[in-house]
Amino acid sequence: MAGLLCHGRLAGRNGLSEDLRKQLEAHAGLALIYEEAWADIERAETTAELEEARVKHLGRKSTLSSLLRSIPELPATERPVVGKFGNQVRIILEAALAERKKVLEGAELERWLSRESVDITLPGQPFPRGHLHLITQTLWQIEDFFSGLGYRIAEGPEVETGYYNFTALNTPEGHPARSLHDTFFAEGKPDVLLRTHTSPVQIRVMEKEDPPVYVIIPGRVYRRDSDATHTPMFHQVEGLAVDEHITLGDLKGTLEAFAKSMFGAEREIRLRPHYFPFTEPSVEVDVSCTICGGAGCRSCKNSGWLEILGAGMVDPNVFGFVGYEPDEVQGFAFGMGVERIAMLKHGITDLRMFYDNDLRFIKQF
Amino acid sequence: MKVPLTWLKEYVDVKLTAAELAERMALTGTEVERISHAGLPATGGNLDRFIVGQVASRYRHPNADKLSLCQVDTGAGIEQIVCGAANFNAGDKVAVCLPGGLLPGRDEPLSAAVIRGVESRGMMCSEAELGLSAEAAGIMILPEDAPVGGRLADYIPLSDEVLELEVTPNRPDCLSIYGVAREVAAITGRKLKPAPAGEAVPRGDDRIDEIISVEVADSDLCPRYGARLIAGVKVAPSPPWLKARIVAAGMRPVNNVVDITNYVMWTLGEPMHAFDLARISGRQLIVRRAVKDEEIVTIDGTERRLSAGMLLIADAEKPVAVAGIMGGETSEVSAGTTDILLEAANFQGRSVLETSMTLGLRSESSTRFEKGLDQELVPQALAMASRLMVEIAGGRLVPGQIDIQQRPVLPEAVLLRTDRVEALLGIGVPVAEIEVILTRLGFEVEEKEDGLLVLVPSFRADVEREVDLIEEIARVFGLELIPPTLPSGMRVLGGLTSEQAVRRAAVRALAERGLSEIISYSFIMPDFADRLRLDPRDERRQVVALANPLSVEQSVMRTMMLPSLLGTLAANLSLQNQDINIFEQGRIYLPVAGEKLCDERRVIAGCLSGSLKGHSWLAGSGEADFFAGKGIVEALFAGVAGRFSVERAEETFLYPGKSAAVITAGRRAGYVGEVHPLVLEAFDIDIPVVAFEIAEAELIASAAGIIVFEDLITFPASFQDLAIVVEEDRPAAEIVRVVREAGAPLLKAVRVFDVYGGESIGEGKKSVALNLEFRSADRTLTDEDVALVRAAIIDALGDKLNAALRE
Repeated sequence: MAGLLCHGRLAGRNGLSEDLRKQLEAHAGLALIYEEAWADIERAETTAELEEARVKHLGRKSTLSSLLRSIPELPATERPVVGKFGNQVRIILEAALAERKKVLEGAELERWLSRESVDITLPGQPFPRGHLHLITQTLWQIEDFFSGLGYRIAEGPEVETGYYNFTALNTPEGHPARSLHDTFFAEGKPDVLLRTHTSPVQIRVMEKEDPPVYVIIPGRVYRRDSDATHTPMFHQVEGLAVDEHITLGDLKGTLEAFAKSMFGAEREIRLRPHYFPFTEPSVEVDVSCTICGGAGCRSCKNSGWLEILGAGMVDPNVFGFVGYEPDEVQGFAFGMGVERIAMLKHGITDLRMFYDNDLRFIKQF
Repeated sequence: MKVPLTWLKEYVDVKLTAAELAERMALTGTEVERISHAGLPATGGNLDRFIVGQVASRYRHPNADKLSLCQVDTGAGIEQIVCGAANFNAGDKVAVCLPGGLLPGRDEPLSAAVIRGVESRGMMCSEAELGLSAEAAGIMILPEDAPVGGRLADYIPLSDEVLELEVTPNRPDCLSIYGVAREVAAITGRKLKPAPAGEAVPRGDDRIDEIISVEVADSDLCPRYGARLIAGVKVAPSPPWLKARIVAAGMRPVNNVVDITNYVMWTLGEPMHAFDLARISGRQLIVRRAVKDEEIVTIDGTERRLSAGMLLIADAEKPVAVAGIMGGETSEVSAGTTDILLEAANFQGRSVLETSMTLGLRSESSTRFEKGLDQELVPQALAMASRLMVEIAGGRLVPGQIDIQQRPVLPEAVLLRTDRVEALLGIGVPVAEIEVILTRLGFEVEEKEDGLLVLVPSFRADVEREVDLIEEIARVFGLELIPPTLPSGMRVLGGLTSEQAVRRAAVRALAERGLSEIISYSFIMPDFADRLRLDPRDERRQVVALANPLSVEQSVMRTMMLPSLLGTLAANLSLQNQDINIFEQGRIYLPVAGEKLCDERRVIAGCLSGSLKGHSWLAGSGEADFFAGKGIVEALFAGVAGRFSVERAEETFLYPGKSAAVITAGRRAGYVGEVHPLVLEAFDIDIPVVAFEIAEAELIASAAGIIVFEDLITFPASFQDLAIVVEEDRPAAEIVRVVREAGAPLLKAVRVFDVYGGESIGEGKKSVALNLEFRSADRTLTDEDVALVRAAIIDALGDKLNAALRE
């Protein structure tokens, strides 16, 4: 019997097993009922037609229902057979009906959904994001690189005294290097100025802390100059490492790692001797050209190299100013222009764009 | 510093090309800005087409009165040349450009031509055509000794490659050809030739000190003063070779006397001055400080008023030169000058620098003196200049000289511990190599037990210490040989401080909400306070002003961010940019009475003028109103897990009813509000703007540090809504406070989710709908638990706020 009820697995004509078919043939009324109902279910193309078929063949007024209701009135010998097979027919038809309904409903849902289609090529709902200024992004990259190497980030005042900005950096009054910096001075306070570099913070850090000192110092600096390659305000990152055995080789290795991190692993650096009052020896540092890779192009004036920063070994006189013992410690310092790094990295040609604050520029990055 | 290569080669026989030499110099510390070419183009055999010719005959052109028809001996034969000049005769030696020769500044080479029916095969050149001077009226007549048929460029240095050096301020010795030659000899290993001194033989039986007296009154500013007298000079144009040198160095030929002083300066690095002796009043010179308001007309024709303390050279009556910077017009050498007092001196660098900056007058002389020069250059320069004066200007060196020196400069001796070289550089340099390097640079080296004793030459005053010597060694030895390493044995911890991390989180929060970051100048326009309608007593009117701003618009340090933001917004509006929602992190600068430095406070500030939701074919764009601004401030605080409350703000630049002071921990942290229409007008902004400014210190202090886990899962919360009716002007915060107090401890959160006023609510009333969250940490709350608290809340609302449940 279990086989009979599993309509889906029934074999033979109209989904009936051979056994059941024989029984039905023996009761001609049932067979007819079944044949007609089955055909209507199969024929139904919509859920509405299927519902009609259900009412017609399995509803209270259907022939089958009437037959089953009339069982008590049948002769006693027929009762069990009609009852048994009649119910089986009902169960099979109900199952077929349910199955057919699922199919038709699925198809109707698909038809309905297909009418709900949108233009998928229209833009999505915007969730606008803002942009950090390219200088901030570049600063963060520099800070992250050096903090990964064990450096801390120090800060100091932008309105500074001549002592910190120049004197303690081995640049006394009357030193020709002072006139290289076009300095803004505060009105009414001749010794107060806008720092021309982040180097004075070196002095402030060393005054407060004993070695070893490993810091970088990002910040705004000011020089009285304004054209395509100068803005009166710009950003520097100063670096300072003071310990017992720091060498010029350590400076070179540190800056080489920095250049590779910033501009790509294939970059090389070279040191050129230079002069800064507060470092000795002093060097300028070039990175192999980010445009041509060193072959020579217009950006690097065919030299294959681009200058990115100034550096050197901290001058012993500077240690003298902060009370460090020049024979016990040595160190290196470097200073880079953040704008220059960003310009080289992103191919920006006019420095002033950083401070025009045109959103068409800012939102590119 | 322009260094013509042929000039350099007079003193060092360098074999490198200009480019190779420039590279070597760059890598040893002398930056070469560029390599330029002076004078005649040298490529393609051009120099072979310029030769010394001699005019064999000159006749009038048969078809033109103003032209001559000349036969010119070019050594290789006679060429016929048509010439328009009139200043020459047969027998004169001239500069001839043969067909195919390319003159400086021309695009096309000269070609043979038929001029008025006569063939002309070449051109006789003027000085202007050869780039030697502005003299274009006639052709250049060469001296007698010019070899006919020889290349012109071999006779006159007419064509040169020029290294343009950027000399660092510590190396004034390299502001001279000879100093550069010394450096080049050291870095290339070539031999340095002797310094160009020579000496003229004095003649006559007079003596300089009988003719003029010199007194150095302020010797602190003039450690050495030397002078010589050349009598009977003939002031005239310089010979061609001298003109060529002067031009190649980037100067302008004037006359033989002036050109000689400039030539000596360029060669040795010692600026010189030539006075017309006849115009020195009282036959005396005194080197002294100026008194206030002394006046002098310098040779550039400018009248200058001196301040007290500036060093000058005066005669018996008046200043005749600003010491070391520029001479005066009255004693300037002129065409009629016959007797010349030649000055070479050593002036204190700082004094020259300060005077030059105060006067706004820089010269080749001052840029050298200000760096501090070698006193030994004084006699060398006088000797060289005297010789040239006699040779070129036909003068007689009057016997005797003036040389007033405070005290002789003794050479500095510095001990170099050779192990310090490796300790500082990270690479060892053999002692023998150290000795070679230092010796080539002009140092004397003596081996001692504890290292090398190094005598510093007078021209290297920048070297005073062991470390200075190590730098010299490093740069010549080669920085490229130093192996790159990282510091070893670091005993420190790096990374961002928590404050720095919070600061980053804050700006990220703003960027994520759609605000873009700007960076504006820290100095702003001084009338910002008026534009913002600040009260006259508002302390933000107290600013740090700049003494020397670039412009009025950038002349005071800002005490608030809003002016920068509004300026940037207006600029973007005029660029037709849309949705200008911006912020800046930076400092404000507040003067502190009695302090040199100011209080620099970091703030985060922004302003919104457009949609934060973007523009779309989809409906619903956000408006930049008070609640957008407050929402951004909420996002900012949420970004650092901080909290704040608000009070009504009383800022003159904000919309009175739509602005709030932001309070953290009882302190004012800043403001948020719509900007006052009059302020917007003052910044030329015609759309509504909402702005905020938050002090970073307060924001960071409000940040929640490490967040400790709270179990919200085991015992879930239950939620209830409550709608009440209160007076229209009752602040939501007050309702929330009453609800919170009454609902504690089970009430965990209150959210206002609807505010409604309308006829159905009643005149002067509003309905406020609240969502309440109840939770206990140790059990799941029952309906009864919640009902009790809810009842208490409703009671409290009724008692304290006269609020009724909305029916």
